[in-house]
Amino acid sequence: MNDLTSPLWTNLTSRERITGTWRSALPNYQNQPSPCLNACPVNGRIAEWIGQVKKGDTKGAFVTLADNNPFPAIAGRICHHPCETACNRNELDETVGICSLERFVGDAALDQGWGFPAPPAELAQSVAVVGGGPAGLSAAYQLRRYGFRVSLYESKSALGGLMRWGIPAYRLERAVLDGEIARITAMGVDVHLNAEVGDADALAALRREHDAVYLATGASLPKKLPTLDYAAGWVVDSAEFLAAPADQQSARTGDHVLVIGGGSAAMDVARTARRLGRTVTVLTLEPEGSLPAQKVEVDEAAEEAIRFVSGAMLQSAEAGDGAVTLNCIRVAFSKGERPGAFRVDPVAGSEFALSVHTVIPAIGQDADLQRWAGLLEATGPVIAAGKDWQTSTPGIYAGGDVASMARFVTQAVGMGKEAAHAIARALAPDIARAVPAELPEVGYDRINIAYQEPHGRTHQRLTEVAERLTTFDEVQQPLSADEAKSEADRCFSCGSCIYCDNCYFYCPDMAIARLGENGYEVDPDYCKGCGLCVAECPTGSIHMAKDDNA
Amino acid sequence: MNAPANIETRQLLNGNHAVAWGVRLAKPDVTPVYPITPQTPILEKLIEFQSEGKFAAELLTPESEHSAMAACIAASATGARVFTATSSQGLLLMHELLHFAAGARAPIVMFNVNRTPASPWGFWPDQIDSLSQRDTGWVQLYSESPQDSLDTVIQAFRIAEGSMLPVMINHDAFYVSHSVEPVSVPAPGLIDEFLPRVERPMQLDTGAGQSLGAPIGQASWNRTRREMAAAMETVPGLTEAAASGWRAMTGRGGGVLEAYRMTGAEVVVLTMGSMAGTARDAVDRLRDEGIAAGLLKLRLFRPFPADELRAALAGVPCTIVLDRNYSPGMGGVLHQEAKAALYGTVGAPRMHGLLAGVGGVNVDVATIARLVRDYRNADPSPDAVWVE
Repeated sequence: MNDLTSPLWTNLTSRERITGTWRSALPNYQNQPSPCLNACPVNGRIAEWIGQVKKGDTKGAFVTLADNNPFPAIAGRICHHPCETACNRNELDETVGICSLERFVGDAALDQGWGFPAPPAELAQSVAVVGGGPAGLSAAYQLRRYGFRVSLYESKSALGGLMRWGIPAYRLERAVLDGEIARITAMGVDVHLNAEVGDADALAALRREHDAVYLATGASLPKKLPTLDYAAGWVVDSAEFLAAPADQQSARTGDHVLVIGGGSAAMDVARTARRLGRTVTVLTLEPEGSLPAQKVEVDEAAEEAIRFVSGAMLQSAEAGDGAVTLNCIRVAFSKGERPGAFRVDPVAGSEFALSVHTVIPAIGQDADLQRWAGLLEATGPVIAAGKDWQTSTPGIYAGGDVASMARFVTQAVGMGKEAAHAIARALAPDIARAVPAELPEVGYDRINIAYQEPHGRTHQRLTEVAERLTTFDEVQQPLSADEAKSEADRCFSCGSCIYCDNCYFYCPDMAIARLGENGYEVDPDYCKGCGLCVAECPTGSIHMAKDDNA
Repeated sequence: MNAPANIETRQLLNGNHAVAWGVRLAKPDVTPVYPITPQTPILEKLIEFQSEGKFAAELLTPESEHSAMAACIAASATGARVFTATSSQGLLLMHELLHFAAGARAPIVMFNVNRTPASPWGFWPDQIDSLSQRDTGWVQLYSESPQDSLDTVIQAFRIAEGSMLPVMINHDAFYVSHSVEPVSVPAPGLIDEFLPRVERPMQLDTGAGQSLGAPIGQASWNRTRREMAAAMETVPGLTEAAASGWRAMTGRGGGVLEAYRMTGAEVVVLTMGSMAGTARDAVDRLRDEGIAAGLLKLRLFRPFPADELRAALAGVPCTIVLDRNYSPGMGGVLHQEAKAALYGTVGAPRMHGLLAGVGGVNVDVATIARLVRDYRNADPSPDAVWVE
């Protein structure tokens, strides 16, 4: 025992000297949204599930993913992945291959037969879901997780909507689609196939029978070009074409097919026709490089020897002897304010002609608003819905293409999820998921790059072009387990604590406590607000906040 | 004492290697050092000793002198015997922690090689680097030669551990640090007995819930300085005791103040460091000429041995202070200190403060003899004088 007669030595430890009052800012340990989470149409907790992949916990990653999206294998194939565009890693080298990792997890779940758990309790309330596409299935899934009784009405003979009738198998293998849908129906969804809800009266009747209705009937009406005679034998409807079996697709198309449109559906039509052995030309209003389809789709189409005539418009068509002459003109294209709005100005003297055998316009689909007239109000081309996706008729919610111009599959999945939680908040507020708090996004400046090595992305392999054109097999090949691990390791885990202990070890005042699974806690009695923990956090999971109490 | 007979080996060593030999014999536990010219040979020699298995200390090489001193303080607080070495800019970089070490009562021994501080850049012997640290609470000793450096660094551990104050020993760049002379190196057994491990009154211990240097109130802080003052008062006695023990063992060395031919001296040269060696020869030459000259070599600069100086200069009519340092706006630091020590003393000698050898300028025997001849009967001036 030391001699304590000198004031140099005290029997107080530094724990007994409350030095936190020197502080003007206090670190706040809090997981915050990554840019990918905010960009994600379903607001998936991407940093968290990729963290689970890093640790080899694929099942955990599936559970986290499925909290917001029951279709990881589908989304991992066809999502337009705005998450990757937002990814902070792009500042260092390349974005993380989030979509390919999602597919890795989704495929593992299907391979292993991982299902969704039964709801904690069955609830008395029932909800009718009208439309078995991505929005309707997503809503049905989330509603079943709560324990609501769900009746799903689908006008066609199978569930899937656009995913089944619009997206070709070379992009989305049918076994994957069937597997992910079966996992939802296995939760106890009362499915009614070939059950069209034909009009407003039928919808009102459903509303009376159920505690809520979710309407997700999609956009079933093709937009039409005034310059084209749709009754002509050489004009084929794109939606019908994509939905038809291959033999019918062959029967309806001549040797040279012209596809009109630059969106995802146009690419699907064109590439399907190529696989039938056709020569394919795509005519788009938008100039090269500005097509609304995903870049990867356009690139793969070009690889498959599809010819693009971009920045041009069809003016008239003349059927001749076995071929159709299409009179076109170059246009100046400018985007409008609202999604889908645009303006074209023909360039005088730039007329030219194309000669083809079949024309397939694929310029978009409109929602059938007339069907619900008198019951549901519309806003522009879609059913009007509030922030909670409730329509003008209380208890009827809507989402997907019928209620939004955001037309990607995963956007529909996100809308279905949001509506399901809104319905739950109305019907069972005690158990419903709260609206997530708005937290600041973790930008690149909050990532400590000293802990990151530049490491290029592992891209998915594509099937060779010659092989692609002989089958409808998938073009994009999955990542191997090692590749997935390596790609997951590139994730910065923005805003998601990885329990590295940096804050704990670097704190010069030992003011940070480890709480095991609950992470860390800053002790305001001792923290002097130096910010070292914040600077040393590799993931931006702790940030400085002004402290008026000190 | 059962020490073996006076067993020493003679080796040709430069001043820095002599220091390293002294440190090897003193067996510190922890040695954090950052290299700097002209100190580096001390570190290099210690590393050589360690590679030969002859030096067991934990040798740390931190990223700066500031960190080296921080490591010294922490290691010393746990009870370890600690040595470090530096020079000039390195010492100045440590400045903040020199206060800290003394306040924490860490008995660290540090060897500083006196070198001109920048700017302008230079590597010359000048004592202003260490003298400008005089108020940090470190004991300061000045060595004249490689042998003196070896002897003093060992004695310094006795002084440090006896007073619980850090001790800095200084020798001049190149004139001592790199000059080779035959040096007597004591046998290890001798030093083990001379420098026994002493139990610290206080040390950091993870098993005891006590803290060192935690924030305290004004009055308590004031008390720590009074305690340091009391410790400083013990240093001259500890220095004399260490010196006499050393003399008994080796037959060498002076204490606080080393007197040479002071009997009947009418003019006394007061200086420190390597200049004392030159002055010794000058005194011999002056005595041969019939001038009653003497020499006082100040070995202990902090605490300043005012009593010993007053006693040594009692009845001496004239003192000439030679300073190899310059405190801008005041003059030579030794002159300033000696004046202050003698102020008000009855019969204090006339005192001349000569700035000789600032920046490492060579001051040879003839120069010192000439200065003594010129100034021994001159009227005293309170101000320092630049001389050639």
